[in-house]
Order: sequence, then structure tokens, then C-alpha cells
Amino acid sequence: VATSAEIMEALADYTIQCNQNKRLRRMQRDWTKLLHFVAEDTGDKFTMEVIKGEIVSTAEGASGTPDVIVTATSEDMCDMFWGDLNPSQKYLDGEIKVKASQEDVMRIDAITMIIWPDA
Amino acid sequence: MDDPQILKDQAFADFAEFINPMKVRTMKNAGLQIIEEKRQGASVWDITGRKYIDCQTGSGIMNVGRRNPEIVAALKEALDTYDIGVFLLVSKQKAALARKLAEISPGDLKCSIFGVGGGEAVDAALKIARGYTMKTEIIYAEKSYHGHTGFALSAIGREAYKEPFGPLIPGFKMVPFGDIDAMRDAFTNNTAAVILEPIQGEGGIHIPPDDYLPQVRQLCDDHEALLVLDEIQTGFGRTGKMFAADHYGIAPDIMTVAKSLGGGIYPISATVFTEEIQDFFVPHPFIHLSTFGGSDLGCLVGLATIEYIEKNNLAERAVQMGQRFRDGFDRLTGEYEGLLLEVRQKGLMMGLQYTNQSIGPRMTKKLAERGVIAVYTGNDPAICRLMPPLVITEEEVDLVLNALEDSMKELSQEGGIGIDD
Repeated sequence: VATSAEIMEALADYTIQCNQNKRLRRMQRDWTKLLHFVAEDTGDKFTMEVIKGEIVSTAEGASGTPDVIVTATSEDMCDMFWGDLNPSQKYLDGEIKVKASQEDVMRIDAITMIIWPDA
Repeated sequence: MDDPQILKDQAFADFAEFINPMKVRTMKNAGLQIIEEKRQGASVWDITGRKYIDCQTGSGIMNVGRRNPEIVAALKEALDTYDIGVFLLVSKQKAALARKLAEISPGDLKCSIFGVGGGEAVDAALKIARGYTMKTEIIYAEKSYHGHTGFALSAIGREAYKEPFGPLIPGFKMVPFGDIDAMRDAFTNNTAAVILEPIQGEGGIHIPPDDYLPQVRQLCDDHEALLVLDEIQTGFGRTGKMFAADHYGIAPDIMTVAKSLGGGIYPISATVFTEEIQDFFVPHPFIHLSTFGGSDLGCLVGLATIEYIEKNNLAERAVQMGQRFRDGFDRLTGEYEGLLLEVRQKGLMMGLQYTNQSIGPRMTKKLAERGVIAVYTGNDPAICRLMPPLVITEEEVDLVLNALEDSMKELSQEGGIGIDD
């Protein structure tokens, strides 16, 4: 089980990786979304705001009306943000759930491919 | 001889580097790490030798089966004498295929112009509709799919395909599919045409109410607008009739065909229309041209394909094999009601409606592991589209059904399969 603080730490690292990746920023510049992440085992929730491909804020708690809701165990969520697991595989195994349009699901997969090509 | 696995890995690597990395990733994630090598009947073999039953068939280009020997022979014979041909000249091959299409098409459809792919055929249809009627508005349906070219793209009922490329061609109006009241409300005095798939393919195998298309036909007549039916996926026996329009006792003014017209061997499409509409081309004989459309080779392949479909009564075979599938689906629906919500089917055009959007990709992967290629639809990953070759055998149908059952059994023991997941 990962604590809320551990997930926020991973999320902070993920934010840096995404925002510093020029290729990703160029690819995602038409993507403005509000994402919620839900840790199903602990009930912790997190909000990420993306504006034109840049992660402009992350916070504990679920605020606003999300375009995307990602549900996973706290540990998987932590590993995902650290790049230690391929979320696509977990999604296909039914262990990570994503509520979003098909286009947004594809976007998230594209982000993981760019950030962690070998994950 | 090179190791097939090395060749396969190299192909995936090159495809990712030089064509599309995300496509490679998506195929791998979906268990479709396949490089097609041998193809025969309803089957395809990966370069490493693994056999699959193909229920995807390029969304229905293989009605006569993979690499049908008669169609291959027709192309080989054509290559002994012909090439593509010069599009500007009169061609006996084009004339022969146009005559054949007139013979098999619904109603008074008689004249053809040819293209290479479905989008080109739809572009031609909508250009003709505007040119002939001298009106501009085109009504199309939500979740529709007509191709990715200019007019066709403007008539696609999925915003994601269009949004980055706007502004598109103006004058296109979208209505819910199957809703005759919405369709009626959309008509104006400036309506040139309605374009519909008789059964929506990419949208998720959506079958309209029985009286929908006849009523749309009537509305078009009342407003002096044209009815364009896109039979690109539904045509050539796929639904149990030569064309899906035949189920509803109607004929369009313009019909587009492609995919299976090429027998899975050579690309060709056609836009088929009435003699009255053909009059538009009398003062404009060179207003719509295609360098490679209706090539001499493609027309001979098209003729051989239609003759094969007729000779072997593949439309009736689609009914028979469709019923065999149906019996299996009914059993699965009962056993896995928490996973499989609904089956929509006409002949061998079949859609399985799952409980949520994660199921389509997950089932695709599990089916691939069991030797079946069956992929979720582009518009909705909660729907699995099954469009096997019409030559599929009873044994192969049973193998697909067994693979579906095994996959559902396994999936039903995993998380994330409910409607709310």
C-alpha cells in the first residue's frame, strides 16, 4: 500500500518528466483535460490539470469535473507515476480502470509510450 | 533462411520507426503481434507459423476469403496481357465491370464511376449529389463512417477524426442514426442528399429499425434529394443479400462499393448511380477523374470477385454461417450476461456489445491468444466487430465460438468487467 504522500511524490516526479519532455509537450499541445486518480484500496484521490499539454497542477483530493478518471491500487498508481509499470498492460488486465473517451485513453497510452518507452 | 522471429522483430521495429510507433504499441498491447504471411480461406498465418482465423478482414475486404485461388488466377491472367491502363481512354474492362454492377445493384442503379478506395467513392457520390441536384446540404448520421478523404471525412459521425483538420466542407448536418423524426427535421429545400450506411460498421454494427430506410427513401423523394447508401462494408453478400438495401426493399439513387469488390487482392471502388443522374456527366464528361480508379487490372479482379460470389452463393452462405454464429452467441449471452450485453447481427456482419470500453481491447487480446483475430470497433471499444470471410467453414465458426467462450470465461474471473467499471 502506498501512502498519499508517496503518491504525491511520484506524481511530482511524473510532472517534471512530462513537462520537461519537449516531444511530449509538442505532441500534446492540443490536449487540455482534468484528470482524477482514485486509489481504490485506500480511497485517496488526486487531481491533475493539464492545459495544452502542460501539467499545470496536481493536488490531493478530487476537484472539478474530470474528463478522465483513472482507478488503480495505490501501489500500482505509485509505480505508474515512477514509470515502474506499464499501465497499458494493467489496463488490459482489468487492474487499472480508465473512464474516458477512447481518444483520451489513447492519449494516455501515448504519454506512457513517450515517457517510458520500455515500460 | 532468416529466422522468422528476427524478421518479425525487425518489421515491428521498422514499422515503429518509419511509419507509426503508436500503432505498433497498440497492436502489441492488444495481442496482435502478427506479421501476416500465408493467407488462405478464413485463415492467416503469422510469419512465425502461428495460425489465426481472421474475423477482422480489413473491416470486410475478404468476403471471398484470403487469397482466393480463383481471384488470384484472374489477376495473374490479367497481368499476362494488361497493366493499369490509361484512365483517359475507353476501357473494355471498365465497361464490363460497370455492366456487371448494373446487373446486380438494387433498383435502377446502372452507371458507375470507379475509384481506388471507399473514401474516393464517397467523395464522388457527394460531389455528384451536389452537382446533380444543384443543392448543397448533406445529411449524415452519428457514428457513421465513410472514409478519411474530403467529402467523406465531412460525413463521418465521429468528431475525433475531424477535429484537428477543420474547417471541413460546409453544409453537412448530422442526425442520430435510426431516428426518423430527427431525419425529417433535418431536411430543408436545400438538402442535396442523405448519406447512410444501411448498417453501421465502424460505429458498432448498428442496425436501424426495419422501416427506417424506407422512410428515409420517402423523405428524399418528397424533398427531391438523393439517397446515397454506403455499402462499402455491407455489400457483396456480407449481410445475407447481395446488398444490405435488398433487406429493406429499397434502392438508393447512388451507392458506393469498395472493400470486397477487390477480392482482397487489388484495390478498387465504384460509385454506382441511376441513368438519370448520369446525365450530369453529359455536359461534364471529365469533371471527376481518377488515375488509378477502375484500373484494367482492378476491374478484372472485381468481375472475378462478383462472379465468385454469385457462383458460390456467398450471400446465402452468410445467412447459414450467421445462424451458426447466432446459436453460439445466444448461448454465450445467457452464460455471460454480466459481460455480453447484446449481439447485433445481419448475416456475417456481427457486433458483440460488451459491458464497458475496457472489454473490447481485453477480449481482442484473449481471442488473439486463442488464434482468432477479432477487434473492437474504432468508434466504440465496448463493441467487438466480427466480419469473417463468407467462405468460413462450420468448423472455423465453432473454433471462433469456442475461443469467445474461453475468453469470456477467463475474463469473467477478472476485475473491471461491470457496466460501471
